[in-house]
Amino acid sequence: MSDSIATAPRRNSSAFTMTRIIWNWGPPTLTFVIVAVLWQLVAINNPYVLPTLDAVGASLASDPGMYWANLLVTCQEIVVGAGAGIICGFLLAVAMSELPIVEKAVMPLIVVIMVTPVVAIAPALVVAFGFGMLPKYIVTGLVVFFPMLVNSLAGLRDVDQKALDVFKTLHASRWEIFRDLRLPGCMPFVFAGLRIAMPLAVVGAAVAEFVAAGQQAGLGSLVTIAAAQANLPVTWASIALLCLLGVLLVSLLALLRKRILWWSDEDVVGR
Amino acid sequence: MTATAHPEEIGVEVTNVTKSFGGDEARVTVLNGVTLSIRKGEFVSLIGPSGCGKSTLLKVVAGLSEANGGTVSINGKSVREAARDKAIGLVPQSPALLPWRTILDNVSLPISINPRGNTGRRLRDPRELLQSFGLGHALDRYPAQLSGGMQQRAAIARAFVFDPEILLMDEPFSALDEMNRDQQRMGLLDFWQSNRKSVLFVTHSVPEAIMLSDRIVLMASHPGRIAEIIDVDLPRPRNEALYATDAFRDLEFYVRSALRKVMEAARV
Ligand SMILES: Nc1ncnc2c1ncn2[C@@H]1O[C@H](COP(=O)(O)OP(=O)(O)OP(=O)(O)O)[C@@H](O)[C@H]1O
Ligand SMILES: [Mg+2]
Repeated sequence: MSDSIATAPRRNSSAFTMTRIIWNWGPPTLTFVIVAVLWQLVAINNPYVLPTLDAVGASLASDPGMYWANLLVTCQEIVVGAGAGIICGFLLAVAMSELPIVEKAVMPLIVVIMVTPVVAIAPALVVAFGFGMLPKYIVTGLVVFFPMLVNSLAGLRDVDQKALDVFKTLHASRWEIFRDLRLPGCMPFVFAGLRIAMPLAVVGAAVAEFVAAGQQAGLGSLVTIAAAQANLPVTWASIALLCLLGVLLVSLLALLRKRILWWSDEDVVGR
Repeated sequence: MTATAHPEEIGVEVTNVTKSFGGDEARVTVLNGVTLSIRKGEFVSLIGPSGCGKSTLLKVVAGLSEANGGTVSINGKSVREAARDKAIGLVPQSPALLPWRTILDNVSLPISINPRGNTGRRLRDPRELLQSFGLGHALDRYPAQLSGGMQQRAAIARAFVFDPEILLMDEPFSALDEMNRDQQRMGLLDFWQSNRKSVLFVTHSVPEAIMLSDRIVLMASHPGRIAEIIDVDLPRPRNEALYATDAFRDLEFYVRSALRKVMEAARV
């Protein structure tokens, strides 16, 4: 009995699966339908407040190439900017956890930068680095940097003390402790950080584009320009695409997490 | 009475070890002049009231905690040298297996860590070892897929795999329910009886201490010290039948009253 190996309960009947699908997908679908209906009601009666959903759809269909090009620019900002921010945040966390002097030296500066609103930094960066992609990379990177740093650091510190004792009695080197214990052990925290960072990356890219709207393409830039022209369908189509992008990133992340973090059943911090 | 490979050779020598915690004003002495030697291949249990310093003593011997005074030597080496040579096998209170590694990979881990320490060790085949621990069917399972008892057995296998000279176990079965506990205890006994090593074993269970040990070290608290060392002169190999013998019951009664005396003395 004590030797029985736990296995996940199997879903055996298709009827059960069907109920399950309805149970999982029914309520959220219903919510979306209700919101869409309300939206249409408001939009039809107040054409200057909201565009109708069909107008948004028509806008997307009429010029898919334009939207696609802008979407790609925003994606590029996220991949390069957030990618760099994620890597830097993680590496700094590693340096801080391995070398206390680094933490002592850098933490005050980090806190100062962290409390400075990125929205305020963005225009200054545009002045400093011009209207190119660089300030956008920096803003996007900055936004994801902190959640990555904080979560990774928490993860690297949250090491199983008993397992650490076993490593120490084996006279494991710091590298061995890092490679075999801290690094894999911190992954749930890293993913929790990513979970926070991904939606923020979209925010960062959009905000960066607002500041220098029209200078480079991008969905955020498109929102600003269209809104200034009171072109509601384009404004909302761009917003919808930004939203879709965020959802896509978060879903991708969840997929990745399932693949490489199957051994940890839930997010440890944040959400 | 104990038929060890090297009957009189000293394995671990703890001499006059003192350990205290806290700053100058709030200094608490947790271990006071603890002297104890463990022969090669001898099984020694540590028993005593909660908070008397059993875990602290184990940590000092393991090199996880620095003593304030006294010395510990393991086969003539300092604790540091012993750790470097991978002479110490630790079984913590919780299995502390790495959840991202299979049971086989968890048990293989100590072989790959600090490979220099492997020189001169008769490393065991992790597969065979797990087989003899009754985990042959679970090699490719992950810790979360095993029961607590099986996880603890894997943790014990992990400590045996690199052929250390001393095994340190801190209440390895305390998280298990009574039936499971007994099963794991007898499993350890069987394995150890055919693979003699020095063991320092912390427990709260008197029958467990008697069943497993050659000697029982009874500790008293405030400050933590050795109150009495009790020889367990029961024949080996042992098995469950021993529980029912008069010799076992007499000894159990004796250890229990000694333990009670220690605890009453602490209350005064
Ligand atoms: N790191 C520490 N700092 C301060 N005090 C400590 C520390 N570690 C242990 N102590 C104290 O030392 C005493 C002995 O602790 P220890 O864990 O060795 O007891 P124990 O005999 O193992 O108890 P138990 O049977 O409950 O496990 C306790 O009073 C504890 O509060
Ligand atoms: Mg203890």
